[in-house]
Amino acid sequence: MGTNHEPFEFHATFADLEEGLDVLHRSVDDLREATGRKFGDRPLMLFETALAEIGGNVLTHGYPPGTTRPIEYKLRYEGGSVVAWLSDSGPPAHEHLSNPMPAHSSEAGRGIAMARKLLDELGYERDGQVNRWRLVKRL
Amino acid sequence: MALEVQTHQADNGVTVVAATGRLDVSGAPTLREAIGEVVNTDGTPRVIIDMGGISFVDSTGLGSVIAALKQIRNSQGELRLAAPNQQARVVLELTTLDRVFPYYATVEEALTGF
Repeated sequence: MGTNHEPFEFHATFADLEEGLDVLHRSVDDLREATGRKFGDRPLMLFETALAEIGGNVLTHGYPPGTTRPIEYKLRYEGGSVVAWLSDSGPPAHEHLSNPMPAHSSEAGRGIAMARKLLDELGYERDGQVNRWRLVKRL
Repeated sequence: MALEVQTHQADNGVTVVAATGRLDVSGAPTLREAIGEVVNTDGTPRVIIDMGGISFVDSTGLGSVIAALKQIRNSQGELRLAAPNQQARVVLELTTLDRVFPYYATVEEALTGF
C-alpha cells in the first residue's frame, strides 16, 4: 500500500509539560494515520524523535514563570516533507545550537545535537522575545 | 503516557526494573527514583532495565539510564538493558551509547550469565 501525499495540518497551543508532550506525539500519530504510514516507519520515527527533543526543550524552558503566551505548535505535511514550527517565550537559544554530542558520561546536553542529525533542516530564530523553531524532514 | 516502573527480583538475585510508557523528560525522574531505591537496598546491585514496555526514549530519558549506570557502578554493581524497541535502539546508536550499554533482545537473554 502506498502512502497518501494529501496535505496534512495540525495546530495546538499548550503550556504544560505532560500535556505538551502528549500533543506532540499525538500529532505524529495523526500524521501517520493520515498518510497511511505503518507504525515503526523509520523516517517518521526519526522525525518524532527530533520533535520530542526540541519540543521537550521548548516545554522545559519556553514557558518561564510570569509568561502568559502559550507555546504555539504547528505541523504540516505536504509534498513528501513534514515541517514543524514551535514558538516559545524562553531565553535565547543561540548558544546551544551548535553544541556537539557530549561525552558518554554526560547525563544531559544531547537534544539539539540529536535533532540536527535526525532532521534535514533545523531552523532557529530569535524574534523579539520569542524563539521560533522550524524542523524539516523528508519522509 | 506517564512512565510506570515495577521492580522484581529474578531467581538468580538480579533485580529487574520493568518500565512502561515514555522514558522522556517527563518520565525520567521516575526511573531515577526507582534505581535509587534499588541501589540503596542492594549492596552490589545487578540490575536489568526491562525496556519492553517503553514506547519512546528521548535524550533526558537516556540521561536517566546513564545516571543509573553511574550509581550502580559506584556500588560495584552491573547494569544491563533488555528489549529496547526500534526507536530506543536508534537513539542509543545515534548517540553511540550502544558502545557503553550492552543491550539484549529479551530479559531472559539479559539474565543469562548475569
